[in-house]
Amino acid sequence: MNPVRPAPDRHDDCSAPILGPSSMTPSSQADRGAAATALPTASIDRVVENGVPVYYLQGLWRLSHLPEAINALREAAPAQGPRCVLDGSRLKALDTAAAFVVFRRLAEVGYAAGSVSLRAMAEGQSRLIALVIERMHAPAARPSPPRLGPVARLGAAALAVAAHLRAHAAFIGAVAVEMLSLVRAPRHFRYREATSQFESAALDAIPIASLVTLLIGVVFAYLLGVQAQQYGATIFVVDGVGLAICRELSPILVAVIVAGRSGAAFTAQIGSMKVQEETDAIRTLGLSPTQVLVIPRLVALIFGVPLLVFVGDVAGIAGGILVSAWQLDIAPATFVTRLHTVLAPSSVVVGLGKAPVFGVFIATIACRMGMSVARDARSVGEHTTSTVVQSIVWVIVLDAAFAVALQRLGI
Amino acid sequence: MDTVLEVDRVVTRFGSDVIHDGVSFAIQRGEVVALIGGSGTGKSVLLKEIIGLLRPTRGAVSLFGSDVWSASDAHLNELRGRFGMLFQDGALFSSLSVAENIAVPFREHSRVAEELINPLVGFKLSLVGLSEDTCRKTPAQLSGGMRKRVALARALALEPEILFLDEPTSGLDPISARAFDALVHTLSVSLGLTVFMVTHDLDTLLSIVDRAIALSHGAVIADGTIEAVRQSDHPWIKEYFSTRPSTRNGKEQ
Repeated sequence: MNPVRPAPDRHDDCSAPILGPSSMTPSSQADRGAAATALPTASIDRVVENGVPVYYLQGLWRLSHLPEAINALREAAPAQGPRCVLDGSRLKALDTAAAFVVFRRLAEVGYAAGSVSLRAMAEGQSRLIALVIERMHAPAARPSPPRLGPVARLGAAALAVAAHLRAHAAFIGAVAVEMLSLVRAPRHFRYREATSQFESAALDAIPIASLVTLLIGVVFAYLLGVQAQQYGATIFVVDGVGLAICRELSPILVAVIVAGRSGAAFTAQIGSMKVQEETDAIRTLGLSPTQVLVIPRLVALIFGVPLLVFVGDVAGIAGGILVSAWQLDIAPATFVTRLHTVLAPSSVVVGLGKAPVFGVFIATIACRMGMSVARDARSVGEHTTSTVVQSIVWVIVLDAAFAVALQRLGI
Repeated sequence: MDTVLEVDRVVTRFGSDVIHDGVSFAIQRGEVVALIGGSGTGKSVLLKEIIGLLRPTRGAVSLFGSDVWSASDAHLNELRGRFGMLFQDGALFSSLSVAENIAVPFREHSRVAEELINPLVGFKLSLVGLSEDTCRKTPAQLSGGMRKRVALARALALEPEILFLDEPTSGLDPISARAFDALVHTLSVSLGLTVFMVTHDLDTLLSIVDRAIALSHGAVIADGTIEAVRQSDHPWIKEYFSTRPSTRNGKEQ
């Protein structure tokens, strides 16, 4: 096996400084460090011999010494006569980046590659130069286009939102069609997948949902209690806590937790299946990805979110009871009796009634974002983030719509 | 000769699984070497151990005469500047365009002036046979073969002395695969690169590789020129070379 880049024959009459013991092969980089500290690492010596300019490349012409190489080249005078000679006898190392800048500079001062003759170049270096000359005329890479102006970006964003909503609508339609076909043939419903999703989305979320709503119940009762105490009306804390927790706080908080927990998980699961082409495999096996992946998750959240909201109601009220007993001297029994008389069942029902709607939105958004993941890893992350943001926004929007509508209806 | 890479009695265990049981070999400057072996013989694991991504259980790996696994972080980073690695699927940064991917090593590890980066990136793209209209695309918009070429351009950016390739032709159609082989061959000859690749591809092996090292059951079972390896009596090697009828009688070109 011949080394491809043999040590060149060197005429050691050159004035280039000797690099100590490291004059091995030109590509050996053991001399890098020493050269960088003590020596002019890449320099050029221009001599006119027999009327022809000769450029002696001296030292290390490597990427690591490119700034010096460019400085040396800058001093190379403009063309004198039609030809020039590039002499490699004092050259210690040459790589493609350095050869590229040399020939670019020579072309700039008027020597096209054809009018440069090589002299005393090692075999490997001539081969490298031949390759560089062949490929150096590639145009420079164009940087990515500049960012759009604010108006253009606003327009692009608006179009993106419109396309997004249209795709959502199409997805909802597709899911509805599949739902109808399930109603006609219920045996195709995937009970096992649905129950396992229910377990991970709802049952496994009970601890976190109860912790969060308990703490919010505590905070809410405490704040309310501080105000009510000023008027000696501490018992009204029960009214406030009961109404706020059951009607608003528990549904909203639970929906946010489910969006962050299960919504993100749905998108990531379905998205990575999409990347691995598993969804295509499902389709080729004659199954519908919507039936196999989407509907079980949708059903899991339709039943799971109300359950969690109920758990949240209980935990939030428990938080209120704790603060009332501890801070406001309302005994738990008194609290419960008062709650019994002032908390209208309709408030609880409204809270529980909003829950499946939130569940439908979260599951639909999460599954649709998962199904629209592109085939690269970054897209899974982007879509997962987008699911959480969209779900939370929609939950708040829906909640506001419910509040206004129910107000008008007098419920 | 100038030893670029030395693997010395490397032992690798994952739990009770012995992947390598004393693997040793050395690579000289300018060689094009292929590491072959069946699936699960730890070829890619060995490659990761060589480039400092995975620590072997025992044994030593030295690149350019310095031990990879006892090098300081700074020294290891310096070594990293002297080799290029082409990952199996390219491992391009998906958030950056092709041109930005290739510019990363220039920006991070060289003193190249900003105005020279784009011309150099264009030149590197042309070295690997891509035209400049690829440079604004994102990796997701490229075919497998183009992704590998871009990854090769990125691996070549810092002018490495040794190039590691992990299954360079896997997932490519035969035409792209042969074109990629030809590219690696041109670069290795013209730039004097040492190439160490993990491959399954017999065509690559027969066309551009000087030397093959065969791994089986954690040990090197053959090491030498393709001809010498093919003469081995080891059943796996016999079966490997007999998977293609045309290779039974003499080397094909």
